[in-house]
Amino acid sequence: MTTSTFVAGKGWLYRFDPRAKILLMLLLCVWFFLPVHLVGLYCVVALVMFVGALNTGFSHVSKTFRSILPMLLFMVLFMPFNVRTGRPLFTLCTLTIVTEEGLLQAARLAGRFIGISYVCTLLFATTIMNEVMLALRWYRLPYKAGLVVTLAFTYIPFISDSFNQIAESHRLREADREQGRKFLQRLRDLVPTLTSALVVALRSIPNLAMSLEMRGLGLQNKRSQYHNLASYRHPFTHFLLSVIIPLVLWLLCKA
Amino acid sequence: MEPSPNGSTNFPAKSRLTMQHALELSHVHFTYRSWKEEVCDSLFSDLSLDVQEGSKTLLLAPFNKGKTTLAKIICGVCPKYFPGMLQGNIGLFGRDLSTLEPWDLLGLCSYVSQNPQEQFIAASVEEELAFPLESMGLAREEMVRRITAALKLWGLQDLRTSSQQELSGGERKRVLLAVQEVLQARLWILDEAFDDLDQQWRDLLRETIRTSDKTILVLASRYLEEFTDLFDHVVLLDQKTIHTPALDDLLPRFSRLCGDDQPNPLEEQVLEIAEKHRLSCTNLQAERKRQSTLLGQSFSLHIPDFHLQSGELVTLVGPNGSGKSSFSRLLCGLDEPIGGSITIDGQALSGKELSRKVGYLFQNPDLQIFLPTVEEELSWSLNRRKDLRAEKVKSRVAECAELFGLTLSDTPSTMSYPQRKALQAAVYFLLDRPFYILDELDSSLTYHSALSIIARLRQRGAGLLVITHDRHFASRITQRGYSIVDGRMESL
Amino acid sequence: MQQNRNALKVAVVAVLTAVVVVFTMVVRIPTAKGYLNLCDVAICFIAFTFGPWSAFIAAGLGTALADLISGYAQWAPISFVVHGLEGLLIALIVRQKNDKEAPMIRKLLAGLVCIATVSLGYFGLSSLFISTVSVAAAEIPGNIAQSAVGFVLGLGVSGAVKRAYPPVRSLAW
Repeated sequence: MTTSTFVAGKGWLYRFDPRAKILLMLLLCVWFFLPVHLVGLYCVVALVMFVGALNTGFSHVSKTFRSILPMLLFMVLFMPFNVRTGRPLFTLCTLTIVTEEGLLQAARLAGRFIGISYVCTLLFATTIMNEVMLALRWYRLPYKAGLVVTLAFTYIPFISDSFNQIAESHRLREADREQGRKFLQRLRDLVPTLTSALVVALRSIPNLAMSLEMRGLGLQNKRSQYHNLASYRHPFTHFLLSVIIPLVLWLLCKA
Repeated sequence: MEPSPNGSTNFPAKSRLTMQHALELSHVHFTYRSWKEEVCDSLFSDLSLDVQEGSKTLLLAPFNKGKTTLAKIICGVCPKYFPGMLQGNIGLFGRDLSTLEPWDLLGLCSYVSQNPQEQFIAASVEEELAFPLESMGLAREEMVRRITAALKLWGLQDLRTSSQQELSGGERKRVLLAVQEVLQARLWILDEAFDDLDQQWRDLLRETIRTSDKTILVLASRYLEEFTDLFDHVVLLDQKTIHTPALDDLLPRFSRLCGDDQPNPLEEQVLEIAEKHRLSCTNLQAERKRQSTLLGQSFSLHIPDFHLQSGELVTLVGPNGSGKSSFSRLLCGLDEPIGGSITIDGQALSGKELSRKVGYLFQNPDLQIFLPTVEEELSWSLNRRKDLRAEKVKSRVAECAELFGLTLSDTPSTMSYPQRKALQAAVYFLLDRPFYILDELDSSLTYHSALSIIARLRQRGAGLLVITHDRHFASRITQRGYSIVDGRMESL
Repeated sequence: MQQNRNALKVAVVAVLTAVVVVFTMVVRIPTAKGYLNLCDVAICFIAFTFGPWSAFIAAGLGTALADLISGYAQWAPISFVVHGLEGLLIALIVRQKNDKEAPMIRKLLAGLVCIATVSLGYFGLSSLFISTVSVAAAEIPGNIAQSAVGFVLGLGVSGAVKRAYPPVRSLAW
């Protein structure tokens, strides 16, 4: 199983300081909740998608779109029926089905949803996890919290591998004279597999704790850093851009 | 005295003059905490060991006699994380271990585990090496210098950003040895360090030990030819304590402990073959995608001809990553081949049918043990058969437990490794498959216990494929063998 | 020497977080409509075995990371709050002073709280921030079913793990 969200590339988003990028992401998410023109909203959504395509390629943009599509369809189909007030656009007998307000509100929510999804996805597609953690630590995330996340990432493939092997071996062990099984039986059969996977995971805990201490976790002196964000040369400019971009967009699209 | 930031580099010259004790164990007793009513048997009793600074010591102990526990005690993590009762005094370079925490030992003592997987803590090879140096607070330039040198020494430059999941067993061992290299602790404890390494790296490790000015303690359960003339002292862990006979007495005694002088259970074994089956593959092909470090390359497996009959014992020998487990997965129906077919008695079988005919015993028994007690584990698949009555199941389970030396009320997760391995074999014994694949059975068992398991499984005439990378082991059992290199299989 | 077990806390939370991620992403039971994921099984197990703090962090962080990895980063904060709260509340309800099992009635209560937190939490937060009231409401039945199945399986699994791996008691903090 792969845990990487990073998409290799060379665009300007990749060269943008991760600390500033996180700020930009947060501000843009807030921006989508501000009262803006519907047209402006969709222009910004298109802009975000365009920038995404320039940096991570069209295939990634369309993949992201496909992943949010079911939710989006659901929203668009349900939403208009929900708002009953306003100018009716479509009536069946005496029942109002779709109103203008309903349609507009659906469009706004859909736009906001697409926008937020792309902004979040782009951050993690253009920044390697290590640098996200370094940036978060710069924002005063405690060292241990960052360590927990990094360790969790390294243990995910191990646990998922053992889980798959356990499930396979469970399959291999079935007796040959077995009849077809019902859903409930299947659910019950899951308990031993899950238990076994958990035991394998739990057994690794003392070993992990041991290894962390053997590698010096617990020493009182200040830790030094092997990796740093020094390769990003212009943090100030990037922070400035991170504030200016949402601000300009807000001034342009203000309702 | 705290370990200085730049590790141990200030010390050796001075302490060499006084010939300090690097490690001093005196009258150590240890008993693991029991999770049942009755108390566990003690593991060490009145164990004493002196290791002089700068000396090289080999500690031989049969599997499962506490070699790894001893290493963990010296590193200060047992009984901290592996609960038990510890008595006695342990001194490390003149300091009392009971006053130290594991992290205080960073520059003093470093350990390479038998099972490298459990020691990995970072997301990539490079960071694995950097983590302990960051803890020491070394300057970045110094870290870069040490890490680059260690990666080069152990041939890991191309793997620096790989995660441990992408590494083979041998590569993981090399990463841990590279960690030793950057740490430069005064005492190195190497637990089965030569395992998994290919010859080139075994030679390098031997050379590293030979030329090192550190104190080195190697723990091993098999006497390898690489060990000859490498050590100042060879000691034996037996009957819960350390013995130091002369080498000429020690080696025969050690091989007796491992059961090497006992008769080979396979010789003169009379098989009860009820019906004869024949498993064969012709022109079998499979492909597997490699992981991201070698993006684009895929691994292909080609088996021109392979066959196995009831009652036969066949070995498959090959180095790490040569395709042994890919082949096993095809054979027991976990993966589908892209070409060729697998037939039993001339009939081509689907994956699902194959898994009912070929039992596959994974190298790691824990992935095949599910239930809280031995009894539940053994009766699980029998209970699901409609044609067996409860009393019948009970008697079969009891009989099988007896045969494999298991106690029905035991909890598998707290049993010893050889016992878990025996339980895994017992489960398959009850399934009564006509063919079995045994994956790296000998990796943590004495030859004698591995052979006994083989003998029991084939008693009723099953055909066995034994996978190993130990040619020495293969030569003991083989009637006929195959070798596999880079996905190509050949008959030997 | 037994006092300072910070590394153990880090190790416990990290491994349990990874467990939650794997149960959310890898284990999927096909049902009539779509998939059922098992994050609630892992969360209930952790809450029953490891106590409120581990449950809160591992459940919240685990589900959030799973969202992030599968490309639904926008849901991560919501999952963090909802599942973190779920773990915390269950653990607080079934917490016992001694080593004994929690009484049945408390387990039942914990189950109800689990279902309520998940369904109402997702409903409230997603109707506020991501979708709308009607869309979020339509997801309630699915969430109820998933958390109910998760809770029942979680109960079974926690009992089995305690029997299968007794040393688990020495890991809780």
